[in-house]
Amino acid sequence: MKKIILAFIVLIGFSTSCTKDFNEYNVDKKNPVEVPSQMLVANAQKALADQVASTNVNLNVWKLFTQYWTETTYTDEANYDIINRNIAQLAFRTYYRNILRDLDEARMIIEKEETLTPEEEASKTNRLQIIELVSVYCYNRLVDTFGNVPYTEALNIDDITPAYDDAATIYNDLISRAQAAVAAIQDGESFGNYDLYFNGDVSMWRKFGNSLLIKMGITISKVNWAKSKEVIEAAYAGPLFAMGELAQLQYLGGSNSNPLYQDMVQSGRDDFVIANTLVDVMNGLNDPRRPAYMDFAPDTNVYIGGPYGENNPFTQYSHVAQRIQEPTYAITLIDYTETQFYLAEAALRGAAVGTADEHYTNAVTSSFDYWMVEGAADYLAANPLPAENWQEVLSTQAWIAYYVRGQVSFTSWRRLGYPAFNMPPRPPESANNAIPRRFTYPVNEQTLNKDNYFQAVEAIGGNDFLSTRIFWDVQ
Amino acid sequence: MRKFTLFLALIFFIGMQVVQAQTSTVTGTVTNAEDGSTIPGVSVVVKGTTFGTTTDLQGKYTLNVPPDAQALKFSFVGMKTTERAIAGQKVINVAMEPEVTAIEGVVVTALGITREKKSLGYATQELGGDELNQVKRDNFISNLSGKAAGVQVKSNNNMGGSANIIIRGNSSITGSNQALIVVDGVPVSNDNTNNSGQITGRAGYDYGNAASDIDPNNIESMNVLKGAAATALYGSRAANGVILITTKKGQKTTGAARILGVSITSNVTTGFIDKSTFPAYQKEYGAGYGPYYSSEEYPGLDQGEIFGDPNGLIVPTYEDASMGEKFDPALLVYQYDAFYPASPNYKKKTPYVFGGGNDGAIDFFETPWSFTNNIDITGGGEVSTFRLSYTNTDQTGIMPNSSLKKNNFLFNGTYDLLDNLKVTASANYVNTKGKGRNSTGYSDNILSSFRQWYQVNVDMEMQKELYDLTNRNLSWNPKGPDNFQPNYWDNPYWVRYQNYQNDNRDRLIAYTQVDWDITDHFSLMGRAAMDVYDELQEERKAIGSVSGEIGVGRTEATSGYSRYSRKFRETNFDLIAKYNRYLTEELSLNALLGTNIRRTSIDRVFASTEGGLTLPNLYSLSNSANPMLPPEESYQEIGVNGIFAGVSLGYADLVYMDATIRRDESSTLPENERDYYYPAVSGSFLFSNLMENATWMQLGKIRLGYAEVGNDAPWGSTMDTYTNMGLYGTAALFSVPSTKANENLKPERTKSIEAGLEMVFFQNRLGFDFSYYKNNSVDQIIPVSVSFATGYSGKYVNAGEIQNQGIELTMRGTPVVNSDFRWDATLNFARNRNEVISLDEGLENLQIGALQGGVTINARVGEPYGTIQGTDFVYDDNGNKVVSSSGHFRKSATSDKIIGNITPDWNLGFNNAFSYKNWSMSFLIDWQQGGSIFSLDQWYGMATGLYEETVFTNDLGNGSRDPIVGEVQNEDLTYSYDATSGGFINEGVVNIGTEEAPNYIPNTKRVAGNNYAAFGYATSPNSRYVFDATYIKLREVVLTYRLPKSTLANTPFQGASFSLVGSNLWIISKDLKHADPEASQSSGNVQGWQSGVMPSTRNVGLTVSLQF
Repeated sequence: MKKIILAFIVLIGFSTSCTKDFNEYNVDKKNPVEVPSQMLVANAQKALADQVASTNVNLNVWKLFTQYWTETTYTDEANYDIINRNIAQLAFRTYYRNILRDLDEARMIIEKEETLTPEEEASKTNRLQIIELVSVYCYNRLVDTFGNVPYTEALNIDDITPAYDDAATIYNDLISRAQAAVAAIQDGESFGNYDLYFNGDVSMWRKFGNSLLIKMGITISKVNWAKSKEVIEAAYAGPLFAMGELAQLQYLGGSNSNPLYQDMVQSGRDDFVIANTLVDVMNGLNDPRRPAYMDFAPDTNVYIGGPYGENNPFTQYSHVAQRIQEPTYAITLIDYTETQFYLAEAALRGAAVGTADEHYTNAVTSSFDYWMVEGAADYLAANPLPAENWQEVLSTQAWIAYYVRGQVSFTSWRRLGYPAFNMPPRPPESANNAIPRRFTYPVNEQTLNKDNYFQAVEAIGGNDFLSTRIFWDVQ
Repeated sequence: MRKFTLFLALIFFIGMQVVQAQTSTVTGTVTNAEDGSTIPGVSVVVKGTTFGTTTDLQGKYTLNVPPDAQALKFSFVGMKTTERAIAGQKVINVAMEPEVTAIEGVVVTALGITREKKSLGYATQELGGDELNQVKRDNFISNLSGKAAGVQVKSNNNMGGSANIIIRGNSSITGSNQALIVVDGVPVSNDNTNNSGQITGRAGYDYGNAASDIDPNNIESMNVLKGAAATALYGSRAANGVILITTKKGQKTTGAARILGVSITSNVTTGFIDKSTFPAYQKEYGAGYGPYYSSEEYPGLDQGEIFGDPNGLIVPTYEDASMGEKFDPALLVYQYDAFYPASPNYKKKTPYVFGGGNDGAIDFFETPWSFTNNIDITGGGEVSTFRLSYTNTDQTGIMPNSSLKKNNFLFNGTYDLLDNLKVTASANYVNTKGKGRNSTGYSDNILSSFRQWYQVNVDMEMQKELYDLTNRNLSWNPKGPDNFQPNYWDNPYWVRYQNYQNDNRDRLIAYTQVDWDITDHFSLMGRAAMDVYDELQEERKAIGSVSGEIGVGRTEATSGYSRYSRKFRETNFDLIAKYNRYLTEELSLNALLGTNIRRTSIDRVFASTEGGLTLPNLYSLSNSANPMLPPEESYQEIGVNGIFAGVSLGYADLVYMDATIRRDESSTLPENERDYYYPAVSGSFLFSNLMENATWMQLGKIRLGYAEVGNDAPWGSTMDTYTNMGLYGTAALFSVPSTKANENLKPERTKSIEAGLEMVFFQNRLGFDFSYYKNNSVDQIIPVSVSFATGYSGKYVNAGEIQNQGIELTMRGTPVVNSDFRWDATLNFARNRNEVISLDEGLENLQIGALQGGVTINARVGEPYGTIQGTDFVYDDNGNKVVSSSGHFRKSATSDKIIGNITPDWNLGFNNAFSYKNWSMSFLIDWQQGGSIFSLDQWYGMATGLYEETVFTNDLGNGSRDPIVGEVQNEDLTYSYDATSGGFINEGVVNIGTEEAPNYIPNTKRVAGNNYAAFGYATSPNSRYVFDATYIKLREVVLTYRLPKSTLANTPFQGASFSLVGSNLWIISKDLKHADPEASQSSGNVQGWQSGVMPSTRNVGLTVSLQF
């Protein structure tokens, strides 16, 4: 009897001690706990390009807000309803969680690297600067979308209620960071083929950084011209993109297809037609880029745009051109065309960056080239840039040239104001019967980061409206 | 219940067989004095000795009695012990009287320990196998609905779908709240393998929960352990209550007689759609989203050159709404069936009318059939028993090309190696094959078309004819006369016959057990058990289908194939020592000491084609059009080592005290937080035993208990890993995880108190069992949502508290009983009050699920678990709905308004059983009061103009969809219209003042009734389509006729019965129109939301049961 009890005690003792393998049970045998930093960076670059490209109504509605396209049957987004599908929340998620967090994780991994040779040190520096420049690009888009956003306290899981920073202050910091990054880049290696935009070519990253600086500089031109001028003139010293140069993600097809292909072709849906706003302007200018942008309306040989925001049967209006819907269509992040428009504007506003005409000519020519359309010279002759009251021509031409690059275009349009956009027929109350000037903050910020949300709303003028103007967007 | 006690009695008295001296023999039959039936298992002992035996299956016994024997003593649980003098008789037949005092028998409690029910200090509720087995349903859990107080069962109408089973409310915010199911001491996995997308209403199929593999034919009895005090011995998986199932076993026989019990049961069941659970369509308007198509005369139609007709009227077939042109039999139009050369209506104009006669899309459904056949063989010898059971179920659902086949083999046996050493082995093999399960949620689900996106002019017969003629995807929804590509919806027959899924699960649940009674007081039990299954789920989409989510990454493709395979293994080793003895004449002691070693592993691979298929009709991964995305793989291992001890003391049948403690070490927790203790104490006081003069009362008992149980961390929540995002060219992509792990997690803990009162009166004619409980679940392991600006979507924390408190009442009564007729009634009532007391610091709300339509299911501080949140109406100070200047209702600016709650107020089950001679009849009424449902079906379906509510006569006597005529805004800012105007006025007030100084006047603005979203979607707050989930259902009706023994005398049959069985025959009352309030996409925590749910069926079956 005693033996039995003894045996039993031994068994129980055994059962409680055989937990050595428990640590192993907790190891994930199918997913890594460590990865090389470049795999995170490549993922961030891909996620960023996908977001920039997308026309998914859950993610990116700028192609509608800029009235290039409009919707057929389900017209909520063209009517400025961004609440129904929580677009702001998904954009927040994409930038902070899918892109910036991966970049930051890569930064932390790289910073821990010990370098042995000058080459390794250069590579380390370059990789950190590339991460810096992509991060700046993201924050720039975030600020241009919302205004004040979490910045200094962002990306820290130990602080789950990050404060919102002042948008103008963020802009200044982004400019400093970009300037520092461009200056720090050395000749040498970086991410190699894990750099999906430039294949590791650091000289192109310098150009990217300067272009981004020019963009940020011109964006604040109406509120802080002194700073704007200083930044643009410094960046103009270069190096800059040459004609034909740009930052883009070349999609590969297959599971790495252009999101526009996924949204419009693979989905089998007929959700978008060209908006009358674009067709009317381009028809008025007899713009030779129309065939590159759109098809004739079905069974016609004319371009017809669907009235913006109305119900538009797909079969009655011009469709998006085939090239844009190809699985391998490359998505532009920032390019020569864009930079030249900014420089033209900067010159007109008084910066010492060459002549406006030269940059304007470059910009339009570059746009024609990009769309593989002949006739830029004739077009320029017919549409010269006036020295006075130049806003309408410059703004309209930039808007046409930025086709399918909704957010860039929307930022430019907010600053320059042309062409006049149509008011859609059924805007929700949240649009205040006005054309939007920003996104409202994500709904879940109101629940998860309430105090900071309300402080941010207070800071941008007391209202979290689509019609609220952000700091650089002044009359 | 009787069968159950009978079975236990057998087990108990079998041990009493002793070697007998060679003497005279007495034989006889023991019957029940009440109904004359024979009683097997009765203990027959020579008075004053240990010589004895038990009666066999036919109630017969043979006993050698010593010469000096005076009398025989017959005893049996639930019967009065009877003595008969031998006095030289060779045959002694006894009719035993039921005993009215000892109504509470022996029950199986945690870890399979049998206890006298009266000694328990916590609530349990037993159910007999018959109560669960008469009605054949996909999932035996569904049969529990209404049958046990405090057990809330929710069954959806998906073929083979999952059933939700919650005991005493939701105690875990994001963990599983499903009860633990234990069969013969072996925990049986009840996982639901539906993916998170399916559960939150995206595309997918409901693959059911794994407990549906349990064959109700094998259930002898079931005991529901509701509270923590009852379940505490299960430690870290005990928080949600436990359902203990005891399976049927063979019985021993004595002597040379080998008696084989054979029974065969066959059931056939069919069903009829309950039309109150399917949309009632409007029958006046056809395809389109509004009056804006190209025909000027008929703006709901397109017009143009077609088939040589220069001005043909063409239905906008590419639309999936019914806000179009008014039907008119005289109006001849080209419908989709005019487009297809194979169609009998090719190039023909046809009258524009409502499709499919009176019923519309309901014609699509088929009559479901289910055939269940069971053979059950039991037997035994002097030292062994066995039981062999085989059940075959072959079922077809209401969707075309759907089937579910199950084969369930069970063998168990016992063998007495020594007089005091018994071995038991059991193996249960189950194969389940599903094909063509209905898809669920907001997706390519056919039902989400019928309920949300549809043209009521479509005739399903024509869809069937076109598919049958061509086997091609000739849909009602082509993009146009010269583009047959379906726009949003495939031909539903194409979907059913081409895009079907299939699944297979092979499962073995087996155990071996050794019971060793070392001394009279001390015994050991050792058991090794395994539950192992492999399942495969294959989904397909044929080339030519509408694009939809399929496969890894849920990317959209117009064709594809995916396979998900999952291997589940769980082993349990138990060793329990028990010590039972009377310390004094009055004081009894039961003590136990045990250990449980559990190992679980789950190995999953999900792989799919990418970007479509290359070759048609070939469903293999290698047929992928693009290189495949990396398969999703996971391998999870979990180990839990537990030791436990318990002591029960009983004093003079008057007071019982129980104390148990369990220590668990769980591998899912961080190394330094791994071991936890779960204590429980409970007691009972049988005050009726102090009141022996109170003959009107047979039992009076008070219970009290306190316990702590737990729930360990989900696997992998303590360590971060990176997520593979595939390849970009040659560059591998990885991302940080969305949810930050936590290295410092500890288990969730539920602290529970409960009290109860049980009383039985009037010779057992009336009794009740009342419980009150309060459970506080603290240290919840929750992936709290965090601001995306942190770079994460959530992080695991230990925080928060949920409280469940409630009452349960079970009443049993026998209002009438006489020799021929008996009426038994049972009422189960439970009310649970749930409150989320706190979440993580500073957090007021936690999202459980975000669903289509912008509604969320949440845990919100101060509210019951499961608030439904979304947009609400805006009200003025007087409670009037505010209408905007456009004439539509205003919506709240944010989606965080509480518009409902998934938790019901109370549940009630009322069962009545009648027997008259050889006839018996029973019916069960199941009532859920309260809870809410958001109907995405109506939110969209009203917007697209499908439902009958979207067409009516307006206040001017004109059609609501007629155009608005003569709108004039008057000086007082009201509106006037021409007397012929259509449209309608939303009842409410409109603000003609400013936002700061509002001035509300009644709304007079008319809105068009012939446009998309006139009644739902964008122009309606979510709360408009939140309904009360209350239902009262006639859940079960069973009518049985047993052939009398006399009729069977000359047949090989020992028994024969015929039953007519009905289930869900009648929804007596409900608030939700057009659907069944119980319908959902899956089991789990996300409830209270409906999209594309199946209609329910009224089921009728016939069962024939024969015993040999």
